[in-house]
Amino acid sequence: MTRWERSVPVYGIPVVNRGFWGLLIVVAIGMVLTVFREVVGLGITSGMSDPYAWGLWKTFNVMVLTGLGSGAFAVGIAAWVFNRTKLHSVMRVALLTSFLAYFSGLAMLGVDVGRPWNFYWVMLPWQWNLHSPLLEIAFCMSMYATLPLFLENLPPVFEYVIYEFPKWGGIARFCEKVLTKVYPFLIGLAYLLPIMHQSSLGALMLLGGNRVNALWQTPFLPLIYVWASGFLGYNCVVLCLLLAKVAWGRDVDPEVLAEMNRITCWVAFTWTAFRFADILVRGKILLALRPSAYSLLFWTETILIAGSAYLLYSEKGKKLQVMFLAHAACALGGMIYRFSPTTLAFRPRPGAFYFPSAIEVLICVGFIALMVLGYIIAVKKLAILPGTNADWLKMAKYEERIKPGIRLTGYAPVEH
Amino acid sequence: MAITRREVFKNIAKGSLPILAAGCVSGAFSEVAHDNEIVPMPKGAVGLLYDATKCVGCKSCMVACARANDLEPDTRTDGLHQSPPALNSVTKNIIKLYRTADGSDHSYFKQQCMHCADPTCVTACMFEAMRKDPETGIVWWLGSKCVGCRYCEIACPFHIPAFQWGRFNPKIVKCELCRDRLGKGLEPGCTTICPTQAVIYGPHAVLLAEAKRRIAQSPGRYAESRVYGETDGGGTQVLYLSRVPFRRLGLPDLGYDPVPERLKFQHRIYKWFALPTVLYAGMVFYASRNFKQHAHHLVEDQKTTGLRPQL
Amino acid sequence: MANDAIIKETIAQSLKNAGYSRRDFLQLCTTIMATAPMGLAFTEKATPAEVAKAVGKAKKPSVVWLHFQDCTGCSETLLRTSKPDVADLILNVISLDYHETLMAACGQQAEDALKSAVSQNTGKFVLVVEGAIPVKEQGIYMKLGGRPALEVLKDVGSKAAAIIAIGSCASWGGVPSADPNPTGATGVDSIITDVDSIRTGVDSIITEKPIVNIPGCPPNPYTLLGVVLEFAVMGKLPALDALKRPKFAYDRLIHDHCPRRAHFDAGRFAGQFGDANHREGYCLFKLGCKGPVTHAGCPTRHFNEVVDAWPIAIGAPCFGCTEQSVGFRMPAFERVADVHLATPPDTYAPIFSTVGKIGATAAGLVGIAAGAMGGAAWATSQKLVSSDDAVAVERRKPTIAGGK
Repeated sequence: MTRWERSVPVYGIPVVNRGFWGLLIVVAIGMVLTVFREVVGLGITSGMSDPYAWGLWKTFNVMVLTGLGSGAFAVGIAAWVFNRTKLHSVMRVALLTSFLAYFSGLAMLGVDVGRPWNFYWVMLPWQWNLHSPLLEIAFCMSMYATLPLFLENLPPVFEYVIYEFPKWGGIARFCEKVLTKVYPFLIGLAYLLPIMHQSSLGALMLLGGNRVNALWQTPFLPLIYVWASGFLGYNCVVLCLLLAKVAWGRDVDPEVLAEMNRITCWVAFTWTAFRFADILVRGKILLALRPSAYSLLFWTETILIAGSAYLLYSEKGKKLQVMFLAHAACALGGMIYRFSPTTLAFRPRPGAFYFPSAIEVLICVGFIALMVLGYIIAVKKLAILPGTNADWLKMAKYEERIKPGIRLTGYAPVEH
Repeated sequence: MAITRREVFKNIAKGSLPILAAGCVSGAFSEVAHDNEIVPMPKGAVGLLYDATKCVGCKSCMVACARANDLEPDTRTDGLHQSPPALNSVTKNIIKLYRTADGSDHSYFKQQCMHCADPTCVTACMFEAMRKDPETGIVWWLGSKCVGCRYCEIACPFHIPAFQWGRFNPKIVKCELCRDRLGKGLEPGCTTICPTQAVIYGPHAVLLAEAKRRIAQSPGRYAESRVYGETDGGGTQVLYLSRVPFRRLGLPDLGYDPVPERLKFQHRIYKWFALPTVLYAGMVFYASRNFKQHAHHLVEDQKTTGLRPQL
Repeated sequence: MANDAIIKETIAQSLKNAGYSRRDFLQLCTTIMATAPMGLAFTEKATPAEVAKAVGKAKKPSVVWLHFQDCTGCSETLLRTSKPDVADLILNVISLDYHETLMAACGQQAEDALKSAVSQNTGKFVLVVEGAIPVKEQGIYMKLGGRPALEVLKDVGSKAAAIIAIGSCASWGGVPSADPNPTGATGVDSIITDVDSIRTGVDSIITEKPIVNIPGCPPNPYTLLGVVLEFAVMGKLPALDALKRPKFAYDRLIHDHCPRRAHFDAGRFAGQFGDANHREGYCLFKLGCKGPVTHAGCPTRHFNEVVDAWPIAIGAPCFGCTEQSVGFRMPAFERVADVHLATPPDTYAPIFSTVGKIGATAAGLVGIAAGAMGGAAWATSQKLVSSDDAVAVERRKPTIAGGK
């Protein structure tokens, strides 16, 4: 148990190891199959059909995983707007996971659309159909990923350059300065844009009407979606931190974790309460009580989320094992929730059924593996995962031994 | 202490924020007038009237449609007969058979794009690849704008648009009322060939009047004694008359409101982009204040540890 | 023609006496079996030899054939078979005791022949009626030997074992009953198809006799033979439908067996007589073919045993001669509006087709992925159990320096 003070890279473990190769193979399979999909079209390579025109990629890699990748938004807004200073130490993890999730998701979107060469229209605002929620998602997500998210993830890169490539140190320092100046405006955007597009992700299925099961279809779908991304972001960050402890022996800071648990708990409880209130007001509570596949799905989601929130609220939630399982369950519940209105609870017409094809699954997994690979490489090369100042000094000693000339300590205070 | 200009602006911002917010929210909700109006049909709106009681199921409309649109016959079911099970990438128009389990009752159903008055696909399409002709009201697809996202397929309540799943350069395929033929003064392929005149083409108003005349003339012949498409989903330019209830033919119960109405709250929230701007301003305000505090702490830490501060 | 012998000989004896070989007889039996693959009790599940035995044992049924408002076409169709032997054969299988066209007698002799035929076989003979019966003005428009047809029918019919109305005229009125029907021509058993039509006919006069209608203009002679032999061999009439037509011949629509049905289904129609599509042999629906609403076996049993000797095959639309509401009622080239198919073929798309399936590999992959995730999560959670968990730290909290 420690207190997190700064971000420290994972050192002493080579980037290229068995795990790396395993992930690389999965990624390679995914990429090869992606090329195959581009050549032969979507029909053979996926289980999509006219009734289920959206398959795994759009609904899972884009809608669900960007929900998980809402760490930058959820943790950030608490840290910067609501001034929960404890969360600063985990901001970089949140930013990195979000960046990877969004980029992987956007790349997946590019693979999923049938005519990607026409995507350039997104850059010409006068050609936009402002009524379309999907457009809002397209430009908002692209703008978010390329501007705030990307720029916010640059500081670790600048540092890396300053330490490892002193020749470019001057430029890196300059960029850092510029970034620091515009930071508040950037992060304002970094929280506005996710609110917009996460809610638009929910708005997408409003057009589904009563083809989306009544337990999910509500005029408040956008609100519930963005609310869910609130706790999903925290789930992802905590899981990453606890996995880091198990995989690389990184110590955890119980106060920060407790803070995140508190917030997760609060968001998840209010989410569940609102969802129930919405169902009650719309008069669909009987649907939830009548045994059916849909009600089973609904209760699974609810129990996973609310149950986890309760665990985190209770004393047991302080134990790391319980914390981990609670966050995992909450994330699972949240993911199922965001997956339901488009696929599980979506019945376009009787007689239609969807299950992803093998190639579809492999490409999906490939892009997820790409994300994980990027995370592992980044975490080992850049200062992302939180640690103590003592950890940094230990790391500095290690690095200075193997890389003579590198200077990681002894920086006099610089004027800001 | 003298008040700085900065503080003045800050205070103005702080004070006006709630007023702005209130103004925007009320502005967003004030747009009530538009919502319950019937969607007007374009002046030159044309459409089809399909009378299922006259249809003999000969399927010559399917053949004529394929010929008029240069589509190959779909023989994928058995490799021999042109018998697609549903609308697909080579079938813009299909005759379906509704049959009761015991075979005691049956009716044919001609399915193709409904050319809605307020099409959901047009609202859904990101770059207006799906567009509604302002004169004839025909809903058609423009390939140069289409990204192939297939949101139109998800959005359409009648599940009409079909995607060319097997092509490298896939298109969205659906009935466009034979636009090119109309331009040459011809009628759509299906109505030209129908041997019993079960499906007819004409100006929407004329067809609607004809449909109502038929209902009045033969009471009890038509299900629910109404024309499907007069008000369903805001109105459609393709009208249906049937002996069996429309639901059995697969026509959904949509009510009076057009489907895009479901997004009206979303549209209101984004009106003039006011609410997002207010939200942004608020967040920047608080973030910058906290950022200053944080930056101050970073400098302090650097003094004590000698380590470069991390942003 | 009329056999004075009181004891009727068996059919086998009669054929033998007439000099027909067993082979000819077997051929006749085979033809009857082909005519009615289902629906005749004596041909069901039997080989031609068995049928021949059963038929051979039966007594030659006595048949009295009355003509009323007719064109004699039904008799002609019986005789104008392409193989004259068959006509003869038929005449040797049944004992045609009275037939105005075929018998040698005329005048008073003919009247006597009828009287004796009826009296000698009272209750045992089959009455075949050809032609419609006029009912207007006490039936004066058709007289047989000075007596109105109505009276003759009543008289003879009441003594018959069964009445077969052959041809559309006898079944429901046929040609003479066409609008404006000045003579009030009606069928032997007035067939009710519309609630509006008036029920007149023999049915109201003779109510307890079994009546079989064999409509058509003309009908297939093998239908008649099948019915008569069923009566002679099994002693009962074959299964009849609601209009008293033998099911084995009238249960299908022309449309159901039409060789041009594929063209109908595919939308290939002849537009005008003689145009390119007509020459291609496409469907004649647009030219007014009544096949979709007409019950008959013409597509499978052609006329005069000549292959493709029937209207649609030669490019003439069917005019629905067997159906009372169609033949001689609907204009020849008017298109049918209500095509009620008995069983719409399965080549129609259903309202909601099924699409989508679970691939085995895909399911396996998803299973593996989910299992891997679950396993990893469990393993990780196990590793997180340690002594220095948060509770212990909370107890140690005062020793950690305060701060950020």
